[in-house]
Amino acid sequence: MKRKVLTGSLLAMGALLVGVSFFAIAQPLTVLPRMALAPGFVLTDQHGERLTNEDLRGKLVVYTLAYTGCGEACAPINRTMAELAARLDEVDTGGAPVRLVTISVDPERDTPAALRSAAEGLGADGQVWRLASGDPAMVRQVVGGGFEVFYEARDDGTIRFDPAFVVVDGWGITRARNRVGLPDVELLLDQLRLLGNEVRASTGVARFAYEAAHLFSCYAY
Amino acid sequence: MKVHVYEKAFLSIGGGMLLVFLGALAFATLGAGIHLPDRAGSIDPQAVRTTPPFDDPGVREIAPGKYEVVMVAQAWSFDPAEVRIPAGSEVTFRITSPDVIHGIHVEHTTINVMVVPGQISEMRYTFREPREHLIICHEYCGIGHHYMYGKVIVE
Repeated sequence: MKRKVLTGSLLAMGALLVGVSFFAIAQPLTVLPRMALAPGFVLTDQHGERLTNEDLRGKLVVYTLAYTGCGEACAPINRTMAELAARLDEVDTGGAPVRLVTISVDPERDTPAALRSAAEGLGADGQVWRLASGDPAMVRQVVGGGFEVFYEARDDGTIRFDPAFVVVDGWGITRARNRVGLPDVELLLDQLRLLGNEVRASTGVARFAYEAAHLFSCYAY
Repeated sequence: MKVHVYEKAFLSIGGGMLLVFLGALAFATLGAGIHLPDRAGSIDPQAVRTTPPFDDPGVREIAPGKYEVVMVAQAWSFDPAEVRIPAGSEVTFRITSPDVIHGIHVEHTTINVMVVPGQISEMRYTFREPREHLIICHEYCGIGHHYMYGKVIVE
């Protein structure tokens, strides 16, 4: 009897060890890391409507930075955003809506009217893709303090900043900071797809498998 | 099966230690929130000098009281080699290498990480007291390794 218990517990421990090692090494599931809480904000969009981080709860959000007087320098950023907006139906996000937000790093000059004319040029509809600006101190706190992206006005009136595409999940947690050069649209779509997998598995037993993937740092990139 | 008493003691101590360390590991990750530093991103090591933000390394104030140091560790210097910040600043270091493996340790702080080509290392520290900290490379990187140092001046 005693021997059976001993053999049984040894087998159970062995199975647990093999299972855990398999999960940690083979990484059958991959996720995006939970990096930090995304910043809270109150901004104004191109229609003069209030846009807050709370409005975007429950939605997957891709934030980027640009400004309307930027010209050719921001064109690649805007092109990436436009292509992403056009291709959003390619990813299954498990029913979670996707929103795109371009935050202006030139809040002094980017009034809602300026944003509106820029949005028309870009094809930003104001529903899925919104352009936002606000109080300069607020924008500094959100972009610099929250998303940790540096920007400053140059003497010639242009703004110096690094391109950044930040992906935030429905809980308001930053899951990807694409801030080394300009990301591919494919990469952004893949990040949304990974978040979609997690949304679909957010109920039932599958949830624990995804929690284990976080615990063992089974990160996709 | 007859197991000798010493062998039994040895096995139970060994097994007990495994359980204690497994528990400590679980406590560290779940309870105390201790994690190994994650990769903050990857970069083509040959294009470090042309990829933002490393095309323009330096110290920047990203928000009031918050600074970012974008640094390139290369054979055999840190760029920038001198970081000046006011006391009480929260500083995020983002650092990568265009050539070989380097390391960075800022004396009297918890900043101590390897700098691997192709990867970006990120760490955060709040400098409270005005003083000078020596920055050293602690990963042997070639013949000029001992010349590879810099300074953080907290004013």
